[in-house]
Amino acid sequence: MKFAIALHSPAHAPSSRRALLFAKAALAQGHEIVRLFFYQDGVHSASGNVVSPQDESDTAVQWRDFVITHQLDGVVCIAAALRRGVLNAEEAERYSRPAANLPAPWELSGLGQLHDAVQTADRLICFGGP
Amino acid sequence: MATLHVLSHSPFTDSRLSSCLRVLGSDDAIFLCGDASYALRADTATAQLLSAKTGRLKLFVLDEDATARNIALPDWAQGVDYAGFVALSVQYDKVNTWL
Repeated sequence: MKFAIALHSPAHAPSSRRALLFAKAALAQGHEIVRLFFYQDGVHSASGNVVSPQDESDTAVQWRDFVITHQLDGVVCIAAALRRGVLNAEEAERYSRPAANLPAPWELSGLGQLHDAVQTADRLICFGGP
Repeated sequence: MATLHVLSHSPFTDSRLSSCLRVLGSDDAIFLCGDASYALRADTATAQLLSAKTGRLKLFVLDEDATARNIALPDWAQGVDYAGFVALSVQYDKVNTWL
C-alpha cells in the first residue's frame, strides 16, 4: 500500500517521533511511502540547525538519516519554511539572509506536492500536535 | 467509509475527543496516542463515558504511550504497537488525525 505522510509538528514534539516510528514500521511491513510532506511547524524537523540536548534523542537527525537511507521524497513546504526561517542556500541568497539551514536531502516545494502525494497514495496519514 | 480517528491531545484540556465521539460513524474506530491515552485513566469522567460505549465503540491505544503514563488498559481498549498502528491504517479506509 502507498502512504503519504504529512508532519505538522517540530522535531521536539512527541508526534514527530511518532510519525518517524510509524514511517519505519510502514516500510518494515513492505509498504511504500510516496512522499513525506513537512508542513507548518513540521518544517523545523528538517532544519539542519536543531541541536538536541545530549540526553535526548535527536529526532531531526533521525529524520534526515531515515530519508537518506531509504531515498525517500522529503518535501518541506516552502511558504511554511520561509516564514519560520528554514531556508536553503538558494532562498537565503534570494532574500539576502545571512545563512541557510536546510541541507540535503530536503527539498523546498509548494503545497501542490502534498495534493499530488494524496492523489498518488492510498492513505494520507497526518501527524501533529503533542 | 470506515475511518480511524487518531487523537493525541489530552481529553482534559480540550474538546477534541467529545467532538470526535459526536461525529463517529458506526464503522469508525478511535486510536489514542500521546496525552490522549489519559482518556483511559481509571475513575475519570472520560473513561466512564468511553466504557459506557463498550460493544459499540472500537478503541485502540498506542501501547508505549499508555505504558509511559502508567495507565492500565481496561478490557474495552486494545493496545497496539507501531506495526499495529500501520495495520489499522491499512484496515480502515481513511485515517483522520485530530491535529
